[in-house]
Amino acid sequence: MGTLIKQEWYKLAHKNGTWIAIGVMVAIQVFVAVMGRLYPDVALLKPEVTTIVDYYGGGLVIFIAIANVASTVSMEFQYGTMKQLLYRQYYRSQVFMSKVIVAICHFVLLQAIASVVTFALAAGLNGYDWMAVHQGRSNLAAYGLSLAGFMLMGLMLLSCALMLSTVLKTNAAAIISGFVGYFVVEIASSILTALIAKWEFLKWNPFTFLLVGQQLTSDSVRSLTHLSDPVMIAGSLIYTLVFGLIAYASFRKRSI
Amino acid sequence: MSTILTVDHLDKSFSGRQVLHGVDFFVEEGHVAGLVGPNGAGKSTIMKAILGLIPIDGGGIEIAGQPVSITSHQALRKVGALIEYPGIYPFLTGRQHLELFAAKHHQADNIKHIVDALGMGKYIDTKARLYSLGMKQKLGIAQALVNQPKLVILDEPMNGLDPQAVKDLRDIIRDMAAAGTSFLISSHILSELEKVADDVLILNHGHIVRNTSMGQLAESGGVTYQIVPDNLAQAKAALTLANVTFTLEGAGIVLHENAEDTALNAALYALVQQGVAIRSVDRKARDLEASFLAMVQAEKGEA
Repeated sequence: MGTLIKQEWYKLAHKNGTWIAIGVMVAIQVFVAVMGRLYPDVALLKPEVTTIVDYYGGGLVIFIAIANVASTVSMEFQYGTMKQLLYRQYYRSQVFMSKVIVAICHFVLLQAIASVVTFALAAGLNGYDWMAVHQGRSNLAAYGLSLAGFMLMGLMLLSCALMLSTVLKTNAAAIISGFVGYFVVEIASSILTALIAKWEFLKWNPFTFLLVGQQLTSDSVRSLTHLSDPVMIAGSLIYTLVFGLIAYASFRKRSI
Repeated sequence: MSTILTVDHLDKSFSGRQVLHGVDFFVEEGHVAGLVGPNGAGKSTIMKAILGLIPIDGGGIEIAGQPVSITSHQALRKVGALIEYPGIYPFLTGRQHLELFAAKHHQADNIKHIVDALGMGKYIDTKARLYSLGMKQKLGIAQALVNQPKLVILDEPMNGLDPQAVKDLRDIIRDMAAAGTSFLISSHILSELEKVADDVLILNHGHIVRNTSMGQLAESGGVTYQIVPDNLAQAKAALTLANVTFTLEGAGIVLHENAEDTALNAALYALVQQGVAIRSVDRKARDLEASFLAMVQAEKGEA
């Protein structure tokens, strides 16, 4: 298994896109931080707004991770390399798990880079006070809570993208679905919560659980989803697992 | 000498259509077995089954005494393969492909050895997306051989290779076989396959219709001799007088000799007795291509 994980890392590390994406993400963070320093009165550029979303690099973390996970299985079929992975002493389950582990590690690593850059920029350029308390929570605690919710939402989106890329045999549909999921969370959540208000049972649909990050940091979202925080956390993890299992079942059945 | 690969009464169907019918054969250590058959005969299916890539309906496969199936892969630790076409990551160089799949033990030496043997030095550090068909094929072969496996499965390995590369591959196969590696190779280039194969398996419609050594294959078809005399008319007269059966092919006389026959001796004696000068005598055994074509012709005749 260790060998398989190393091989997946090797492939990921040798794709130009991996490094370009990280470069673009950090460049956007630096750009937003610099703009925040130059124009401190612009509401969208204030550190209280930008640090919580990693100077807008946080959005890119999930996009980059989705693009990677969507291609991790589909590229092996596209390049005809799946046979080479599977004829060795390893089993399909091991090959699949190695890809999942590397995709999760990649996601965590991207977020770690975004967080480190955020802390560095907040200290260096914006003089942001992480210990200052707003609405009963320190800025650092709010950031941590937001991060935890973002990771839960991200894992669910990644498992959904993996499932779609494996079932539909293409990474394009999976990437689009990931973006749509992110769009639902960021923009269309008000439509979703309105539908839940009208039809209670709709609260169990997977899109509701994508709002876990928002609910953990905002009390108002709880009343809109009609679900408690523990239920939201457990639900998002269960959907992540279900999507992952469907992806594995599809991967097992794929003919070589 | 022990058996490295045993295929025992292998059955396989796709969507209700049976493509392998009790396929039965073995490959000995250090032997090169050629698997030949028309398109759709089931060659790639056998190879995929041996590599545990597809489930089988009946029978069994063992590599070095260990069973292989879609859920049992331990025996594949010492197996290298190239099936159908080489799988290539366009964003990696050739060397990176080999580093990716080569075992850590003696990795650099093993990579250098196979790169040199296949003459890939000039482009091994170039991204594989820029490779030609032949370069990709060599890289696929290199990946199959880099870990010095005990058993190698090669499906149409000569595809896209130039004559020099075909000769290099032939030399590598013979060297590795001499060192104890076994090969199962399918190829449509029968003239090349017979230069490296020790044994031959002829597959048709999912049945092994012939399983023999190359030597026995040549013997079973008999031997032909072509004699080119100085004077064809004198030679014909001499052979007719001595009651030797022959046919004519261009400026030469062709004798067909079975195991018990002494046609060559009788012909040479008659020619020398009559003072006919002989320019050359060539011996030709029945080759793999002739055997394969004879099987296909017989099949057409039965149909």
